[in-house]
Amino acid sequence: MRNKHKIHRRVLVLVILLVTALILIACGGAATPEPTQAPLEPEQTEEAQIPEETAAAPIEPENTREGVLRVAMQPIVQTDPAFISSDSEVLVANHVYDYLVDVDPDSIAIPRLASEWTTSDDGKIYVFNLAEGVTFHDGSPLTAEDVVWTFNRLRDPALELPTSSLYSNILDIQATGDLEVTFTLETPNPFFLYDLSDNHALILKAGTEDADTNFNGTGPFKVVEYLPEDRIVLEANEAYFVKGQPSLAGLEIIFFNDETASVDALRGGQVDVVMRMATSLFSSLQDEPGIITSDIPTNGFDLVRLRSDREPGNDPRVIQALKLATDRDAVFELVQQGYGAVGNDTPIGPLYSQYYASDLEPPARDVDAARQLLSEAGYADGLDLVLHTPDTGGRPDLAVVLKDQWAEAGVNVEVSVEPESVYYGDDGWLEVDLGITGWGSRPYPQFYLDVMLVCEAKWNESHFCDTEFDELAMMAGTTLNEDERVEAYRQIQQLLIDRGPVIIPYYFAQFGAISDQFEGFELKAFAGRTDFREVTLAQ
Amino acid sequence: MTSGTLFSSRKSESSAAPGWGRRFSLTLRQLYSKPASAVGSTIVILFLFLALFGPILAPYGANEQIFSDARRPPSSAHLLGTDNLGRDVFSRVVLGASEILLIAGSGTLIAVLFGTIIGLISGYKGGWLDETLMRFFDSLLALPALLLALLLLGIMGPSKSSVLIVLVLVYTPIIARVVRSVVLSVKTKGFVEASRLQGESLSWIMFREILPSVMPALTVEAALRFSYAIFLVASLGFLGVGIQPPSPNWGLMVKEARVHISQTPWALYAPAIAISILVIGVNLMADGLKRVLQSTSSD
Repeated sequence: MRNKHKIHRRVLVLVILLVTALILIACGGAATPEPTQAPLEPEQTEEAQIPEETAAAPIEPENTREGVLRVAMQPIVQTDPAFISSDSEVLVANHVYDYLVDVDPDSIAIPRLASEWTTSDDGKIYVFNLAEGVTFHDGSPLTAEDVVWTFNRLRDPALELPTSSLYSNILDIQATGDLEVTFTLETPNPFFLYDLSDNHALILKAGTEDADTNFNGTGPFKVVEYLPEDRIVLEANEAYFVKGQPSLAGLEIIFFNDETASVDALRGGQVDVVMRMATSLFSSLQDEPGIITSDIPTNGFDLVRLRSDREPGNDPRVIQALKLATDRDAVFELVQQGYGAVGNDTPIGPLYSQYYASDLEPPARDVDAARQLLSEAGYADGLDLVLHTPDTGGRPDLAVVLKDQWAEAGVNVEVSVEPESVYYGDDGWLEVDLGITGWGSRPYPQFYLDVMLVCEAKWNESHFCDTEFDELAMMAGTTLNEDERVEAYRQIQQLLIDRGPVIIPYYFAQFGAISDQFEGFELKAFAGRTDFREVTLAQ
Repeated sequence: MTSGTLFSSRKSESSAAPGWGRRFSLTLRQLYSKPASAVGSTIVILFLFLALFGPILAPYGANEQIFSDARRPPSSAHLLGTDNLGRDVFSRVVLGASEILLIAGSGTLIAVLFGTIIGLISGYKGGWLDETLMRFFDSLLALPALLLALLLLGIMGPSKSSVLIVLVLVYTPIIARVVRSVVLSVKTKGFVEASRLQGESLSWIMFREILPSVMPALTVEAALRFSYAIFLVASLGFLGVGIQPPSPNWGLMVKEARVHISQTPWALYAPAIAISILVIGVNLMADGLKRVLQSTSSD
């Protein structure tokens, strides 16, 4: 016992020395030593105290966090939350940072950093109260200013972020208290809470300039090490504001460029979780011992889109011909193996039960009609197109199936398969004429319209610009009258079927698999928003 | 050497036309005298036959999707089953033969052509030209073929013609070096000296006097390169950087089927076995050729 005490004292002396040294370094180097000092002291002394206490009496366990969950994911390219887009980028950000408002699996907005909120009667003013005791990983406390700064950054038109059009409706954001933020909208937005929970809307510290490298979030996990193209290692944030979370001691996101390799790694025990995989890979895991599979229906879809601002897509007959040449049932059976749902060329899928117009259907396959339309458009001798697709999921299969089906209508398709991180990494995917894009599931359909189909949308990959569509989308997104919105969405679905630049052949299911060493895994429709805060080591 | 003396070389040239056919059948007979090379030659001839008559033999089109028959095991309707998209695996393997043989074959041929010309000139002329070319080739050869191919395809973008260019660029230096080494040993021989003194033109000396001596080594090397080329084309397809879907490239078929291995293993094994058999066959034949040609050249 005495020896032990001696050792503890020695450790304590060492720690104090270390802290003093660090403070001295901080004082010498940094202009503002105050915030640097603050986090170091309590953290270090706490560490030194724990053994002291346990030596005295086994009090309630301070740290019950155990287990490191290893998740296989596509490599990340963007690390600044404002720029992230892929599942893996969102997954990393979702654990390092926190959203103001989160969305549960039933598409209901739930508190995260905001503990509660109130809305004015006219739907234009939202007041949020922030949770107490939230600190960033550098130790500084979260204040209303951080939230204001984050959203001002996301909506700053000068930065040309994907969110700038999403938040263009925000008139003003004010810190109306230390922990109170007030958003004032120009026009009422019934989906505003969901917009605040947009994938990019992770709260950064006010004034952050190197958001792509400093990883200073408030989230449940802290970044220990980021090895690009290899893995990102996270450890539990001991000071996380939700008591008892995270349950895990660590989280590792290991990058895999290849779905088969990641599933093999799951089988071999090198990773514990695989999400987002081809249908056949998923069905191959069904009878695997030690692996729990889960699949949930989603609003996500693969989108085949033709640029509508230049030849050949500027003639709407061309895309209509492609739609007529597509055999949706065959595509659904071959590519999706019957998981998910057959698509209607609109992003408003059957899961949005209140908005989905089940009686509207694109015309059935008619190869002759397709040929006729093509020859009217001046392509009587056939049409040559290059179909670009990322190499993930069923997309290469979809491309190959479409090539075969469209060939019957005289459309000669050359398939170009590109690695996903390359395809989305630069803006090539926004430039190509004909491409396939996977769109993850979102809690409400307005998102897709605002971000992908209205004229000014940041990711208007089809370069679609239709005044009537824009008006309908605007109406659906602003009215507080639910019946009006249902009607607007109905008209939008009809319009997209008639002249939209996109083919949506199916809505997919989300697949996930986890080792039975863990429990509490709840897959989200957008795999990147899957939350590992409550996953625990199985007892 | 068949043309060891001063005058016989010309005589053998004049009787070259009927001699080729006879030499071919002789070589073939000698190939079939040993079981290993007999097996190799049979495999190669079989695949050439498949490549030539593939469109007649294949019951379905390469990208013909029979949606009702997707993921079926081998049966009488589909000899090797169907893949995840309902394509007949047997047809795809058969139709893939012509593609892989055509690309690997023409790539090797062009590389042999360029390599021979460069090797002849470089070896015969010597001097700074030889130094420059060979050091440049050395630097290319220092890189593994697949690595060089990945680099080049990254620059050119994936397509059939890019793969062809890659094959030529990767194999020309190797062929050139082989040819050059033979040229170096031959160019000081009496018959070459003699025709130089006779005042023959440079191209005559290189192509009529030296080239016949290079032929045996060149043939063996070409056959070996051919087997590597088949493997490289398949590997690039497998890595997804070469020929693009839905081409029935065997490597690409393996890549596509790998994801579906639990559901349609036959779609994976068929092209994989085809690659292995063809590469082994070409190698066995190359070994046999080496034996045959070396024994004739040492007569």
